[in-house]
Amino acid sequence: MLAIYKKELRTYFTSMVGYVFIALFLFIIGLFFRMNNLVTRAANFEYTIANVSFIFVLLVPLLTMRIMAEENRQKTDQLLLTSPVTAANIVMGKFFAVFTILLVVNAIICTYPLIMLRYGKVPFASSYASLMGFLLLGGAYLAMGIFLSSLTESQVVAAVITFIVFFFTLFMDGIAASISTNHKTALIFFGILMLIICFILWIMMRNITVSIGLGIIGIGSLTGLYMYKPTLFDGAIVKLFSWLSATARFNNFYMGILDLADIIFYISIIFVFLFLSTQVIKKKRWS
Amino acid sequence: MIEVKNLVKRYGNHTAVDDLSFTVGKGQILGFLGPNGAGKSTTMNIITGYISATEGTVIVNGLDVFEEPEEVKKMIGYLPEFPPLYPDLTVLEYLDFVADIKKVKRSAKRQMVDDIMEATKISDVKNRLIRHLSKGYKQRVGLAQAIMGYPELIILDEPTVGLDPKQIKEIRELIRELSKEHTIILSSHIMQEVNAVCDSILIIDKGRLILQDKPENLGKHFSSTVGVKLVVKGDKDTIISELRKIDSITKLEETRALEEGTVGLTVYSNEDKDIREDLFFSLSGIRTPILEMQSISMSLEDIFLKVTQEEESVNETSTSSEEEVITDVSDL
Repeated sequence: MLAIYKKELRTYFTSMVGYVFIALFLFIIGLFFRMNNLVTRAANFEYTIANVSFIFVLLVPLLTMRIMAEENRQKTDQLLLTSPVTAANIVMGKFFAVFTILLVVNAIICTYPLIMLRYGKVPFASSYASLMGFLLLGGAYLAMGIFLSSLTESQVVAAVITFIVFFFTLFMDGIAASISTNHKTALIFFGILMLIICFILWIMMRNITVSIGLGIIGIGSLTGLYMYKPTLFDGAIVKLFSWLSATARFNNFYMGILDLADIIFYISIIFVFLFLSTQVIKKKRWS
Repeated sequence: MIEVKNLVKRYGNHTAVDDLSFTVGKGQILGFLGPNGAGKSTTMNIITGYISATEGTVIVNGLDVFEEPEEVKKMIGYLPEFPPLYPDLTVLEYLDFVADIKKVKRSAKRQMVDDIMEATKISDVKNRLIRHLSKGYKQRVGLAQAIMGYPELIILDEPTVGLDPKQIKEIRELIRELSKEHTIILSSHIMQEVNAVCDSILIIDKGRLILQDKPENLGKHFSSTVGVKLVVKGDKDTIISELRKIDSITKLEETRALEEGTVGLTVYSNEDKDIREDLFFSLSGIRTPILEMQSISMSLEDIFLKVTQEEESVNETSTSSEEEVITDVSDL
């Protein structure tokens, strides 16, 4: 794992990508820092952080687009997969490499509230809580980016897909709010979701019995639940979306609340996507 | 050392490897020979654990590749068809990385990387980015990667592609050197290469094993016809009519004669029958001097072509494959 970690970091800094990422990141944050804190003379660094959380949508694809796709294209995955390293090691090494770059940027940003200390009182708690949330949010996006990159051989395709998916996560709350809260719609929505899950399962496992069985059980229990208590489905879509929404959780950090549930939520997202990436790598062997 | 049993790999309806079985002993060099798309790379990918097999087993040193992939991977060094190189690393950085993922001990690493760079003759480019290297150098870096950690089994998929003749010679010597302590499987569609280095040759076509034998024994399988090339001075018709009298000649072919007043001929006879003396006496009887006589022994190329084409013609029509093959061989 350490070898892959070192190699990834090295590639980021022999090609320009690492420097470009850091430079753009600092530039955008600097811009917002100036507008939100310096010009308006506000000491709340969280204003800046809340404003720039969209930065990941723009910049994370830059970092993650090649991370797996390029291995697939250059056939270097053949070296990794025929060496005594596990798929989990490969993914972890890569994740920690990109996360390190994010850490470097965050370490630099951490000094900004200290700069403001020269001019008066700074609310450190909410500043650093929001920075913490910022880091976790970034980690979640990186993990998603790694997963999406592992699906393709082309950097460009990886970048575009990653960008589109990230874009949706930004507007997920808004989209969810506009969906009807009617319980019937919710039932249909979850039914379709169940079918999609079964279909993906079938693609990955090629096992008809398992996916159809799961589909019947899933939809059966959904209908049963609906018959028993339709009110359970009221506004369920919105609930699901806002629970899943990575950006909505970020608001707690922004307000200076360090909720363990939120931290665990982000770490689980990271874990889930890294796990999915290892599955994609392992699956290649069985195609 | 390696035991491959009833290996099958299917992609949908396409069968890439079809019931392949063979064994390789310790310290042997096995040559994998077959036309493009014969299933050489697929078989190698399965042995190294890169892809799975549909059916069958691969046992390396008593360990099943499908059950204990991690353990088996420790024993294998692999140079795939396209050398797996990172263009953004220098040669040294790359080999360092490979040594790390192959779990080479820290204390031995420096020396091993140096030795391997020396052996594959890439020390002079060690600080250059891989993306700037020529094809030949890239191939050699790939080879260096495969022997990193000195695994017991080294698998090389067309190791000399893109190298110049001098480098090819060096790489062959290196392979022979390595075979003293390692078992090697290499694939190629170049016959001389396999002939030059391998202890055992395995010809496959369309995923099926056609034969496995020592290079020197291969000829025995296909010595049904032996030919002699002749250049004779004299009138064509009289020479041919005279030669028709020899019973053991099965086939006569006219080839281009370079000199004025001479006839070029290729004569084929039954096996185990040396017709050179007969030819000499028969032609000297009608006073047409033989200027040149050269016997055609089947080269590996001929065997290879013959074997793979026989397969084809067996599939099409089961008869008269012999004739076609012979004309093709003489075209070479």
